[in-house]
Amino acid sequence: MTTGSTTTDASSSKLSLYEGSTQYRHWRFSAEQLAQARASLNATAVSAIGEKFEAGSSSGVSFLSADEEVLLVKFYLAKCSQLCIHLGFPEEVEATAMTYLKRFYLKNTVMDFHPKDIMLTAVFLATKTTNHPVSLESYAQRIPKTQPSDILGHEFLVAQSLGFDFAVWHAHRALWGLWLDVQNLPDVNMDELRNVYESAVQHVRAARLTDVELIYTPSQISLTSFALASPALAAAWARSKIPTEPEPRVLAVIEPIKQMIASQGAPPEVEAVRAVDRRLRLCKNPEKVVGSNAYMKKQEETERKAEEKRKRKAAEVQKAMEDADPFGSPLARDTNLDDDDDDDD
Amino acid sequence: MSRPNANSWLRGTVIRKGGVSTSTNGRTTTPQVQSTSTTVFGGGVKDTSGRTSEYFSMDDQCPVCKSDRYLNPKLRLLVGACYHKMCESCIDRLFTLGPAPCPICNKVLRKLAFTPQTFEDLGVEKEVAIRRRIAKEFNKRREDFPDLRSYNDYLEEVEDITFNLINEINIPETEARIAAYRQENAALIELNIQREEQYNRYLKEQEEAERQERELRALELRRAEEEEREEREKERREIIDKLETSDKDAVKLIARSRAEALRRASARSSSHGFQGSSRLRTRTAQTTVVPDVPHVPLQDDWYAYEDMYVISDSYDDPASEAVRRDREGIMRAGGYRVEEAWERALRSAVAGLEIVPLSGLHHTDQLTTSRSSGVAPEVASA
Repeated sequence: MTTGSTTTDASSSKLSLYEGSTQYRHWRFSAEQLAQARASLNATAVSAIGEKFEAGSSSGVSFLSADEEVLLVKFYLAKCSQLCIHLGFPEEVEATAMTYLKRFYLKNTVMDFHPKDIMLTAVFLATKTTNHPVSLESYAQRIPKTQPSDILGHEFLVAQSLGFDFAVWHAHRALWGLWLDVQNLPDVNMDELRNVYESAVQHVRAARLTDVELIYTPSQISLTSFALASPALAAAWARSKIPTEPEPRVLAVIEPIKQMIASQGAPPEVEAVRAVDRRLRLCKNPEKVVGSNAYMKKQEETERKAEEKRKRKAAEVQKAMEDADPFGSPLARDTNLDDDDDDDD
Repeated sequence: MSRPNANSWLRGTVIRKGGVSTSTNGRTTTPQVQSTSTTVFGGGVKDTSGRTSEYFSMDDQCPVCKSDRYLNPKLRLLVGACYHKMCESCIDRLFTLGPAPCPICNKVLRKLAFTPQTFEDLGVEKEVAIRRRIAKEFNKRREDFPDLRSYNDYLEEVEDITFNLINEINIPETEARIAAYRQENAALIELNIQREEQYNRYLKEQEEAERQERELRALELRRAEEEEREEREKERREIIDKLETSDKDAVKLIARSRAEALRRASARSSSHGFQGSSRLRTRTAQTTVVPDVPHVPLQDDWYAYEDMYVISDSYDDPASEAVRRDREGIMRAGGYRVEEAWERALRSAVAGLEIVPLSGLHHTDQLTTSRSSGVAPEVASA
């Protein structure tokens, strides 16, 4: 059991900035929690989608497993990075978009929303939240077979799934700070340090394809990347930061990160992904497939509900108008008058 | 109220009704209260000084006999206990022989319960009367309650009762509530009435004291002025005397006596410091000390890792090279400072360095709540 609250010094009465962030409070998990969350999400999705299939047709469908979902998302994480480089977006946008994509699929399943659509929205949203705005039209234009409405259509859904926690603490920024701070260590060879930094940047980029940012803090990830490039320098820096301990605990903490980056830091095999994607086409939530029977039914259902709501609202308004008082009836009676405009459900 | 005729008091016939003491000086701008009745109707809503005037309109019409101000310039409408208006002659006609039903609503009324109207809107008239009545009995104060909450509940109840009476909701039940309250709190009510009286007396005394003080001060000021004038006079005489008798240099003499006069004047003014009274004026200032938890809308006191890094003046940093070399400052146009970017990066590099990752499955529900940095750090069991 760990609850891991750690500020060692006098200011421990105050909450640290990172511990106050939404990233720490809402998006920090253990590896086991991640696995469990994904498994239960997958199980719920499978049972929910199974019911949507027309009777009998669901028997032969093999749904995706949680691991396959992760594989698909990871493929699009890599794609996301390529897209940002292609469009010339800064690394900030790229990293933010990838974080959004990861977080989104902790709340949704790929069988409902295909990551290739969500990826575009995540990147677009990230350009806005990191203050590198691009116009929607020019963005959509540069991506083949994409309309502005495709991107905007998912935007609220994505934002909602993120819990509107748009601010992200990034490992690459931490690595930049680390690179600056290491220069202050005694007897550092700048040429060697430059090489170490360059290779550490690559490790941070590899770490983005893994789940480490959902488990560890950005500073730990950046230190890991640095340690992968130069263990001695990283240990020296860690000791200088935490002089009270001869062997800083953080050096033990980063060991598993090294392994995760090494084992999961590469983009997945295209062939394996293609196989998963082919199966996904069969087991997608039929309500989300434009043109299918279930889709039509769902549309009808939604429209019927909206119509009902409109009628009810009109009746309420009519009734309110007929009531003698031109300033409306007393407040207590108004509670069933639904005047919010949430017609989008 | 009408102003009595200038010399009527001499004749001993001060009657405040236009009908009897015919006012001849046309200077009064407020309407005369004219009356056709011999009964003197009192009451109605007045402020404590009695300055509020009776409501009066040219369009007045008695709803009972339909006579109006055009037919009867002395028309005076009075309000009954049921808040229906009628003119004095109707009242005399209907109620002289004892209690009788109101011709409008059939409620039994008495002649002496009729009062002059103060407000144009009779609803206001009624509300004020009811509030007066309620305030007389529901006179508890903040200090009669252990906490603010119960005081507020009490006020809420009072307002509830008042509302019911004004809008005639559930009158018997409300009256029962009032009676029950009166019975329960008889002693306290009496006490508070006394307190109120005492307070009023105190206020009056205070006012009186202040007035006296003002007068005293004015007197003092006059006396000081007088003294000063005398002083000046004396001084002038002295100079003239000295100039006459002495054979010294005139300029010197004048200068010396001036200086002396100045010294005397300053001594005088310093001896006359007024002792201003600073007694507490308001009751509220003494009693309403409401302990209240300060409202903190936002946690804004963070530990920002200040002790974990030291920012240098310059770094070897290719990422910010372009900005630093930008002599015209175009890239720094929005107030961008590379030092701030560095600081943010440094902070980011040390932020949460020591946070131990979660392990196991049992934290999901604690994620948002268990965080408190006062907890001693635990070692990872993984």
